[in-house]
Amino acid sequence: MKFCVCIKQVPDVQASVQTGRMVLNAYDASAVEEALVINEGTDDPVDLVLIGSASATETIRKALAMGASEATHLVAEGEGLDSHAVAALLAAHFEGHAYDVILTGKQSQDTDAGLAGSMLAERLGLPYATNAVGLRAEGDTLVVTRQGDAGQEILALKTPCLVTCSNDMNNPRIPALKGIMAAKRKQIDTRSITPPGPRTRVTTTLEPPGREPGVKLEGEAADMVAELVRRLDAEANVL
Amino acid sequence: MSSILCLLSVQDGRIKRSSLEAMSHANTLARAEGWSLEAVLLGSKAADLAETAGRHGADRVLVIKDPVFDSHLNAPLLAGLEAVVKAASPRLVVAASTESVKDVLGALAVRCDAAVLPDVASFSVQGERIVCERPVMAAKKLARTESSHPLVFVSVRSGSYEVKEAQGAGTVVDVPFQFDAATLGLTLREIVKSAGDTVDLSEARVVVAAGRGVRDASGKALVDELASITGAAIGASRAVVETGLFPATAQIGQTGKVVSPDLYFAVGISGAVQHTAGMANSRVIVAINKDPDAPIFDLATYGLVGDCFTILPLLNAELKKVMASR
Ligand SMILES: Cc1cc2nc3c(=O)[nH]c(=O)nc-3n(C[C@H](O)[C@H](O)[C@H](O)COP(=O)(O)OP(=O)(O)OC[C@H]3O[C@@H](n4cnc5c(N)ncnc54)[C@H](O)[C@@H]3O)c2cc1C
Repeated sequence: MKFCVCIKQVPDVQASVQTGRMVLNAYDASAVEEALVINEGTDDPVDLVLIGSASATETIRKALAMGASEATHLVAEGEGLDSHAVAALLAAHFEGHAYDVILTGKQSQDTDAGLAGSMLAERLGLPYATNAVGLRAEGDTLVVTRQGDAGQEILALKTPCLVTCSNDMNNPRIPALKGIMAAKRKQIDTRSITPPGPRTRVTTTLEPPGREPGVKLEGEAADMVAELVRRLDAEANVL
Repeated sequence: MSSILCLLSVQDGRIKRSSLEAMSHANTLARAEGWSLEAVLLGSKAADLAETAGRHGADRVLVIKDPVFDSHLNAPLLAGLEAVVKAASPRLVVAASTESVKDVLGALAVRCDAAVLPDVASFSVQGERIVCERPVMAAKKLARTESSHPLVFVSVRSGSYEVKEAQGAGTVVDVPFQFDAATLGLTLREIVKSAGDTVDLSEARVVVAAGRGVRDASGKALVDELASITGAAIGASRAVVETGLFPATAQIGQTGKVVSPDLYFAVGISGAVQHTAGMANSRVIVAINKDPDAPIFDLATYGLVGDCFTILPLLNAELKKVMASR
C-alpha cells in the first residue's frame, strides 16, 4: 500500500529541565514504524510530510533513516499554527498526491490536541479511524484496532483512508548507521508556505497548580501501614 | 438567544459522569450569560435519559433515537452531531473528553466550520471570546488558549468540575436524521472488551494503579485484592500494559486515560511525566515505591518507601478490618 505519514517535530517533554531538545513526535514515530512493517518486502513507498520550521529537517532525516522513502518539508516559521491551520495545509498538500493510506500520530506530545488527523480526513472526505493500536492490510482494506472508551474496536476501512496512531501500536526502530547514511541521500522536497489564520490562540503559558506537600513514611512496613490507614481515615477522610 | 449545547456520552445505559460535570459548568456559564442550555442524547435509549439531562439544567434535550449510535462508529456519529449542531445553532458546544468524542471532534469542527479547544481543564465566556486553560507538555504547563470564532467546541477533561443538579425544563425535541450505511467506507467488525473491568476508570472514586514494580501475576493479585477491598477501579502504567499484565483500557496518562479520583494508589510506579499527566489532579495520592527518590513521591499525599510485596499484604489486611467495621 502507498503510505504517507504526517510527522511533526516537538520539544522533548521527557527532559526534566527545558533543554530545548527537539525530537520526532513519539506517536508519529509509531506511525512510521507501522507503515514500514506493513510495506516490508514490497516496493510500495512510505513517504513523509512535515510542516514546521527549517530546523525540522533533522527530524525528517531521522524518519528517513528509519526507512521512509521520500519527504516533503512545508516550511512555516513562527507561532500561529493551530490544528485548523495544519489540517488546511496538509489537505492542500494531499490534493496533488494520491495515497492508499495517510497516517498521523494520534496527538502531538507537546500540545496533546489530537485534532489534526480527523480534521484532515474530513477535509479530504476520507473514512478514518483514530487512536489505533494495531493495523493490518487485507487486500484493499485496512483493518484497524482502535482503543475506545470501554474496549478495543476492530474496524475495516476501505482505502483510501486515514488513521491516527497510538504509541501503544509498536516500539519504533532505532535507525542503524546504514539507514542514517542512506537518509542523507534521500530527497526532501522543501517549500515555503503561508499558513491560513488560526482559529485558536495561546495567550499565556502558566505553571500548573502545585500540590500540598505530602508526608513520606519510612521504616517498618507494619508501622507505615498502620500510620497510612490512620491518616486515610482520620485526616484525609477517604475510607 | 445564544445557547450552549452539551453532548452527553452514554455508557451502559447511563449518562457518563464526566458529561454531567461538563454540563454542570456549562449551566453555570449559560445562566450568567442569559443563554439557554441544551443537551444532546443519541441512541435507542436517548429519550429515557432526557429526564436526567433536565435535572442538570437542560432547557431542551435534542434526541435522535436511532440504534446506529448504540455502539461507537465515527461516521454515523458525525452525521448525527452535525444534524444536531445545525438544528441548535449554539455559540458553544461542550463535551466530556472521552475517546468517542476525541474520535469525532476535529472532523465535526471542519464540517460545522467551528474552532476547537480540546481537552481543557477549565473554560469560560469572556465577552466575544471563549477562554480555556489546557494542560500541555505532558501537563507540565498550562496553556491559556482562546478563540473568538463564532462557533467554538470545547472538550473537558474528566474531574474538572463537580456535578451539580439544577432544574431545567428538559423539553424533548426529536431531530430528524437519516443515514445511509452504504456510503460509510468503514464497518465495525468487532468490539473486544477486556475481562475484569468491573468499575469504570474515569468515573471511579478510588483507583488502584499498578506499575512495573508489581512485576507479575502474584503482584497483580495483591493489587486486585486492594481494589476489591476499597471498591476501586484498576489502573496501570504503560510499562505493565506493554507486558500484557494489565489491559490497555487500564492505562493512565498521556496516551491513556485522565483520572481524578478522591484516592489514587500508585503501586510500583516511578511517576514519569507521561503517567502523572493522567493522575496529578487526584485528591489524595498514596505512593508505594521502594526507591525513596522516585518522582512519584513529589506528588504523593502519603508516600510509603518499601517493597510493595511486603506492604500490600499488610495494607490489605488492615483495610479489610477497617472496612468490615463500617
Ligand atoms: C509519548 C509517550 C506517551 C506515554 N504515555 C504513557 C501513559 O499514558 N501512561 C504511562 O504510564 N506511561 C506512559 N508513557 C511511558 C512513561 O514514560 C514511563 O515509561 C512509564 O510510565 C513507566 O512505567 P512505570 O512507572 O510502571 O515503570 P518504571 O518507570 O520502570 O518504574 C517502576 C517503579 O517501580 C518501583 N519498584 C520496583 N520494584 C518494586 C517493588 N517490589 N516494590 C515497590 N516499588 C517497586 C521502582 O522503584 C520504580 O520507581 C509514555 C511515554 C511516551 C514517550
